[in-house]
Amino acid sequence: MTDSEQPETETAVSQPQWPENGGQWSDEEGGAGMDECGLAEMAEEDEEIDIYNNETFGMDMDTEVGDTEGDPTNPLFKFGEKPPAPPALPSLSPSSPSFSPRARPQLRVQGPPGRRGRGQRGGQAMAQMFEDPAVVRTVEGRPSLQWMLSSYERTRHASGSVLQDPAIVCVMDSHAPGRGPNYLDSHYPFSNSSGRRGGLRGSYSNRPFGQRCPSQINTMLPSSPIVSRRPFTTQQPYNQVGGLPSPRPCPSTPQPLTPKMMQLRFGANSPRPSPFYSPSSNRVQRFRFPGPVTQLHPQHRRLLSQRQQRSQRKPDSWDPYCNLMSAKEKEWIIRLQMIQLQSENPHLDDYYYQEYYRRMEAKLAEEELGMRGKREPPKLTTPYVTKMDSYTPVVHIEGSLGQVAVSTCFSPRRAINAVAAHCPHEELKDIRQQRLDVLKKIEKLFMVLLEVEEGQRMKAQVLGEGEEKGLMEKTEIKVEYIYSQLQHPDLEAEEEFLPCLLVSKGKQLLARLLPFLSHDAALKVLSMVTSHLPVLMSRDADESLPVLYPSLRIVIGGMTFSQLIGVLKDFTTSLPDSSDGSVCLSLVCQSKFGLSLLYALLSQGERLLSSDVPLEPSIGDFETWTDTVFLVASQLSQSALVEPLLLPSNLLTLFCRYLDKRTIHQLKSNMESATGYLALPS
Amino acid sequence: MNYMPGTASLIDDIDKKHLVLLRDGRTLIGFLRSIDQFANLVFHQTVERIHVGKKFGDIPRGIFIVRGENVVLLGEIDVDKLCDNVLQQVSIEEILEEQRLQQQAKQKTEKAKVTALKDRGLSIPKADNLDEY
Repeated sequence: MTDSEQPETETAVSQPQWPENGGQWSDEEGGAGMDECGLAEMAEEDEEIDIYNNETFGMDMDTEVGDTEGDPTNPLFKFGEKPPAPPALPSLSPSSPSFSPRARPQLRVQGPPGRRGRGQRGGQAMAQMFEDPAVVRTVEGRPSLQWMLSSYERTRHASGSVLQDPAIVCVMDSHAPGRGPNYLDSHYPFSNSSGRRGGLRGSYSNRPFGQRCPSQINTMLPSSPIVSRRPFTTQQPYNQVGGLPSPRPCPSTPQPLTPKMMQLRFGANSPRPSPFYSPSSNRVQRFRFPGPVTQLHPQHRRLLSQRQQRSQRKPDSWDPYCNLMSAKEKEWIIRLQMIQLQSENPHLDDYYYQEYYRRMEAKLAEEELGMRGKREPPKLTTPYVTKMDSYTPVVHIEGSLGQVAVSTCFSPRRAINAVAAHCPHEELKDIRQQRLDVLKKIEKLFMVLLEVEEGQRMKAQVLGEGEEKGLMEKTEIKVEYIYSQLQHPDLEAEEEFLPCLLVSKGKQLLARLLPFLSHDAALKVLSMVTSHLPVLMSRDADESLPVLYPSLRIVIGGMTFSQLIGVLKDFTTSLPDSSDGSVCLSLVCQSKFGLSLLYALLSQGERLLSSDVPLEPSIGDFETWTDTVFLVASQLSQSALVEPLLLPSNLLTLFCRYLDKRTIHQLKSNMESATGYLALPS
Repeated sequence: MNYMPGTASLIDDIDKKHLVLLRDGRTLIGFLRSIDQFANLVFHQTVERIHVGKKFGDIPRGIFIVRGENVVLLGEIDVDKLCDNVLQQVSIEEILEEQRLQQQAKQKTEKAKVTALKDRGLSIPKADNLDEY
């Protein structure tokens, strides 16, 4: 405390015109309504404040000096009641000089109306001394100004929240522990006791839910200071002067002065360099890279450096208050923001940025291809962020009926229904539970499928040999996993896949999985689909079957003749108790998907037959084929057809070979009426 | 172009003169000295500018700390550019007087409106007083 006080007094002494004699202060006596000792205190602070203010605002406000001459309403005078008593200094808080300069200018402006009459006499001399331009400006010769300002402030109070009082200067402690100069601490007006200080520190413990490291709970002020602050600010600001409680919280802990604080307090010395204030040599605001913390795409970095070279900045004129924020603090903020951007999968999290620069690079690479040959594009590396430990969002206590959901910042409200408790008895599961199980399983498998597809996409990028192989293996494993999971282990071989297939999302899953499956597995899926076609078609309420068509078509395109025959049998088998034809076929004609599938199969057969590739058919294949064709043709010509998803062009060619003209004609008209265009350009 | 994410983009604005519009409608002009990750701002040599019509008046305020959430917008002031060819600076008393008159007029029209509506049996639902937005 003595540190802070002494330089002040020294400065005070050095100014010759500063009245040491209290008698030279204003003549007003009898501070009516004013606490005597409070006045003494205030007068003391006054001195320091004025020095501070004078120097702070002095350099800008030289022209304003003249206005204050003989201003009787200069509220400064109201404070100059008692002679300053230097020995009284110890009673003052060390923080008050720091506190008051901030708040005082406000107080001065809003001097209480009742005290306007004072300070008439000693005014002029004082005006010169108390050159507080902040006050000077506002006080322009009419007492009503005070009142106007006060009413202005009053309306603010009335309309807005009390915390919008401009007189409130909230010193916010906004840094993480372990930062640099804690000057805010020293300036903190409410750290007026060591206990309070502890309270301030205690606010940091309020951070259980700051899972990111420097998450700032801006507990604006610990609760107690707010309480003590209230009487200060919620009243009319003008009454603040009168209402200053004399037993002001007595701060006596000496605060260590940091260089930063010196900077601020010795704004007084701003025109001349002070030993503590080191003007930054880097006054010019240069465009800078924030250092190793930031992770930019290399292309981006290149662009920025180019731009930096091109841009020029004009040097700032000398600003004594510049660089209040040290480079370290700036770095800290940048680091903080960058940390939040880090991700292990930038392609996913920041897709557009990555994509944009990837394309730009690709374009540049193309251009450079002729010149320098293909260069390995520099990779973007983001610093690795340690993964959070996995947490169990839903806790199931043994023997309880329900579940307890643990909310974290990543999942504030966990849907409990989605996570089922263990059901020990599998057979007792009811239909609803079973369906839930299937749905859950499909969701899980979808996630794996997404990873598979992601792997596929990454394969397209340039990868090292080993990486690619590893990736392929992983993808393979995942595909296997999905495939095995799709087959319900406890169902008969005939009915695998079916539960998942009955769900539309399961169909999508299968459709997207098919390209990754081996040919045999894909064939199995296809045969399963065709064998269960009636069931699938009948239970396809939302018409999601067609999603399977494209993938299946590709599978069909790779089938051999024998395999084809085998699958086609499913279409033509009739139920043992049905009298005529194939129930399946008639149903198929009514279903887009079924019809399209049938067409695709026939088209494949035709393609195989008409191509020169040796077919290697099994025994009886051709007969089956011919039979199938006849059957299908008859069915198609009889029943009304729906529009297929795709009409292969070689179908009619196929039929022409086997059937008579009449049937063909009928077929053709039937198909055309369904599709609306010519089945065959003839 | 500023490529810094979030509040860090304000770093380039430090030590420059800015104009900030707060949520309660106040306009502050000052030198931006310090920021933090919530975009809380520290202004130096702040001046509160009140605009009424084509006139404006400045009230010097000293140092301001603005909580980030209360900022509507913030913009740098070009000190080189000529200012106030349209606006006319007046003294503080005058501007406060003007503002008071403006408020009065507004209240009068508001009152007239409310009365008119009341006569017709209607009423304007009152918004919550604390937050005007």
